[in-house]
Amino acid sequence: MIEKRDLDECLECLWHMKEEGTVLVSVLRQKLGEEFDGNLLNILRADGLIELSDAGEKVELTKAGSSAAQLFIRSHRLAETLMHTVLGDISEPLACEFEHMVIPEIVDSICTLLAHPRECPHGKPIPEGECCKHASVNSESLLIPLTQMKIKQLTRVAYIHYKDEQQYHKIESLHISSGTIIKLLQKSPAYVVECEDSNIVFDDEIAAQIFVWKHFSPTGALISTEAQ
Amino acid sequence: MTTQEAVRKEKKVMLVGLPNTGKSHTFNNLSGQYSLVGNYHFTTMEITKGRFEKEDSVYELLDTPALSGTYICSREEVIARDAILNEKPDILVQCADANQLKQSLSLTLDLMELGIPMVLCLNAIDETAKRGIWIDSRRLSDMLGIPVVESVATKEIGTQELKEAIHKAGPARGLMTYDAMTEENISTLMLKLPADMEFRRKIAMLLLQKDEYISGFIEKKYGQNIARDISSTAELLRKNCEGSFSRILSLTVKRRVEEISRAVMHKQKILLEEHSQRFSQLCRDPFWGLFILSGVVWMMYILVVDVANTVSNWMNQYLWFPVSNQIDIHVHSLFWKEFLIGDYGILSMGLANAVMTVLPILSFFFLFFNILEDTGYIPSICILTKRVFEKFGLSGQAIMPIALGFGCKTMATMNTCCLRSPKERYITAYLIAFAIPCAAQMGLNLSILGRCGVKAFLIAYITLGVAQVLAGLCLNKVLKDDQKSDFIQEVPRMRMPDPKLVLVKVYYRLYWFLKEAVPVFMITAVILFASDKVGLLGLIKQITSPVVKNFLGLPLQMVDVLIVCVARREAAAGMIIKLVQNGTLSVTQCIVAVVLTTTFLPCLAHTVALAREIGTRKAAEMMAIINVSSILLSGGLYWALVFFQK
Repeated sequence: MIEKRDLDECLECLWHMKEEGTVLVSVLRQKLGEEFDGNLLNILRADGLIELSDAGEKVELTKAGSSAAQLFIRSHRLAETLMHTVLGDISEPLACEFEHMVIPEIVDSICTLLAHPRECPHGKPIPEGECCKHASVNSESLLIPLTQMKIKQLTRVAYIHYKDEQQYHKIESLHISSGTIIKLLQKSPAYVVECEDSNIVFDDEIAAQIFVWKHFSPTGALISTEAQ
Repeated sequence: MTTQEAVRKEKKVMLVGLPNTGKSHTFNNLSGQYSLVGNYHFTTMEITKGRFEKEDSVYELLDTPALSGTYICSREEVIARDAILNEKPDILVQCADANQLKQSLSLTLDLMELGIPMVLCLNAIDETAKRGIWIDSRRLSDMLGIPVVESVATKEIGTQELKEAIHKAGPARGLMTYDAMTEENISTLMLKLPADMEFRRKIAMLLLQKDEYISGFIEKKYGQNIARDISSTAELLRKNCEGSFSRILSLTVKRRVEEISRAVMHKQKILLEEHSQRFSQLCRDPFWGLFILSGVVWMMYILVVDVANTVSNWMNQYLWFPVSNQIDIHVHSLFWKEFLIGDYGILSMGLANAVMTVLPILSFFFLFFNILEDTGYIPSICILTKRVFEKFGLSGQAIMPIALGFGCKTMATMNTCCLRSPKERYITAYLIAFAIPCAAQMGLNLSILGRCGVKAFLIAYITLGVAQVLAGLCLNKVLKDDQKSDFIQEVPRMRMPDPKLVLVKVYYRLYWFLKEAVPVFMITAVILFASDKVGLLGLIKQITSPVVKNFLGLPLQMVDVLIVCVARREAAAGMIIKLVQNGTLSVTQCIVAVVLTTTFLPCLAHTVALAREIGTRKAAEMMAIINVSSILLSGGLYWALVFFQK
């Protein structure tokens, strides 16, 4: 008996294959393992979510299929980001549960709260939602770029939009990463933050890439209700 | 070496660590040698070798430039990592700043994966108490599975314990393991690597992390085909990986670092702000920072101009003149008299110029400069001037090499390798080579200009500054844009310099000057003397006369100075001081001479470094442009000064 959850998993898998640049059914079979069932593809094709080649060797998501898969992926990766940002760790089973439960409006709200992150903690891109298209950070966001912080304020880094792998390693080696508590010391002529007992200087571009909690209480609570 | 010593196997010990963690201090303590140290990043740019003995073992010691991880973020780190991969040390000693343990622990876990026996040296342990930090080093050693030694490298505390730990170091326990999928990917790639390859696990991990430099390393060792084959397997595995490999690894490492630091590091909750921190912030402040910078320049001016010049004059008067008078009286042959104490005399132009004129000035300048270096003030200048350099298309990352140019232009040029963008590297190398005086020249320039008054000093340095700005703006316009380097780095903590360490550094800098420069001074004097006698010097002066005399407005003796400048700038500066003293140079000519000798022809070591960083052809082009600009700038300045004097 094929359940909706299996169809969702299959769509999600096809999205991963799209990211990897492959369309072979054999790869899909390998990825899904025991969960693969020939009927899965038939149902998805009947629903207009995928296109199968005549010989049945190749499979591709249709526009509707892409939209559906995108929502699962987006939900999953946003759930991972949320967990990593708030709890400092990721529970993979929880993220998997989350992707099947949420509805687009809730996903967009989480995305807005997190100031529209571009990547999950594993470095995979989070597909853009409607909310991401209309500008960035608003008053609903719990996170803001470091450029919007006030001097002398203490905060916790939520995530960083890295330009590339080299930049990731460089910033990571200085221990500025998700979960680190930093204090903004100055903004001009360059940004200087106090982080893990050292002072780090960087330029405006990097400051704009670092997203931090708008309200932060060093006593333990992540979001100070008083400040809100 | 005795026969018994010869049969003892020499073990290779390599010092590694993050920037500014006391590697060079530790090297000096272990080897008893002296390698230059400073309170800023990338003081060491090359591998320095030394030796030490412990009981019946002999150890070869290698000091490396800073390394933030085995994954290479910028070219300057390749030196250290390739040294590990090529030299295959028997023992790695990681120097860590005990005050910033977390940062160093990531590197420790990273290096442990190489499988080389390791020792962790916790430096600056004396400062932790002041900052309310307590580290349980025994627990740290247990958790890491490697020996941990507490040390205060600047005070030579912990050196014996470190030698002991090195002597007993064995394979590390408690290596990192990752999730099943990651481990499987690493193992799959390891199978693809040549069987004789060392550090296969680490190399496989670096390939999966897409380290740009590791493929080059494999290609160099095993050829293009094998490298390509390995890279394509890595690419395939990367594609199948659930996310970025680096992030997956680093999430696990970070968890482990947090776990260890929570267990071994205890922090006081209430801590008073340190005065050094407050002062450090003031030095970086746009208003107070400039105020402090002006004060620093003023103090340097007073020290070099008033104090050093007085000492130099005193030494000439009481130590050199009596000797030269005696030679004048007792040597009757005109030839020998000229050879010894004439205009190009081996003693007058060679020895006395170096020891009586240049040495006192350099002593005071180095004393001041070393204090600045050891306090950690220099990086503040980089932050302060960031906005200015942005106008030249340079990121903040390029400012440190330029600031280092005021110390040694050769080392500064080598530092440009930290810049990813070729455009930035070219502009930075140009600015270093053009109007920045190195430490020795800066001191001597101050001494020369100080004799002509503050106005002369200001005119010369404002001209050099304006020339530098114009050169930067022009190069930014002319050169094609590319991706700017990221500017992110640690600002070293400002600290009170240790007087003993400052004096030792002054001693070594002066010792190296005397050892290297005095023979050059004397040989140059002999060459000039010989050229003068055979008429070659006269011919050169005749040919260059239209430029030197008519365009630059300088006396023909300046041709001697320019020739000497090629050999050694300090000798040239010493000759200018002599020309000022005997009234040959007017104030205007003095300013022009300083601008000309500062910008004209980089020294030999600098030229070699330049060719290495930007390529021989580009370096030759740059030198030609710099020399033409130097003459045009100096000539323009002369005519402008003449115009305004009217």
